[in-house]
Amino acid sequence: MPQEETTEFELEMPAQAKYVGLARLLASSIARRLRFSEESIDDLKIAISEMCTNAIVHTGNGDKPPILVRYLAGDGFITIEVRDRGPGFDPACVLDRERGDLLGKGFGIPLIRSLVDVFECDSSPGSGTVVSITKFVDAG
Amino acid sequence: MIDEEKGGTVLDVAVESFGGRHLIALSGEVDVYSAHKLRETIKDLVEEGHYNIVVDLEKVAFLDSTGLGVLVGGLKRVRHHGGELGIICNQEKILRIFRITGLTKVFPIYPSREDLHAKVEEA
Repeated sequence: MPQEETTEFELEMPAQAKYVGLARLLASSIARRLRFSEESIDDLKIAISEMCTNAIVHTGNGDKPPILVRYLAGDGFITIEVRDRGPGFDPACVLDRERGDLLGKGFGIPLIRSLVDVFECDSSPGSGTVVSITKFVDAG
Repeated sequence: MIDEEKGGTVLDVAVESFGGRHLIALSGEVDVYSAHKLRETIKDLVEEGHYNIVVDLEKVAFLDSTGLGVLVGGLKRVRHHGGELGIICNQEKILRIFRITGLTKVFPIYPSREDLHAKVEEA
């Protein structure tokens, strides 16, 4: 994550599908204030939707620990971090996934990686998962 | 688009007959909350014996991988019966997602209903 001064927003939301749109809406509002292009805002909306969807799927829908979404707005960039308290996994399983097996294993992670400038995933079995993305305003 | 009373994403689904095919017209956002509506509509059509389906995405404001997954699932379902599932879309922001995931090579994609109609007439 870039080290410049940032403004931070947090959204703690129930691990339920109906709140993903809210996380998306907040991302697009912040990105618009940072003067991201509409195309980049569309990219961010997809990325955060994928991140929250993954968090919900891994945490379980319903009466489960909430998901924490942090938005860090800086000079020319936005970083979004989605933290769940699910069972966690070996991140190498998703970081190594390439397009060739998309049809078999899902489009989410490869899609995020192709739409943002920085993608990080920190997880281990039993400790939950933190997925973080950064996109720069002038990166297109 | 969020339904302020119920919460969650709004997605309207309408089914029409079009040139011997069944056309599913979507309006709104397709994500993990709303995609089940599309999944169930495709499933119902296939169970009724309709295997040539086109999904119109022209009024879709947002589509993520959950929506793509439902479309791929629908495609597999109709192809199992010798049918086809096509897409109508001329929105760059949606087409881009199909290109990134390689799905432009998987689905027949028509820029408009008129183009679909012309293809049907040709066949």
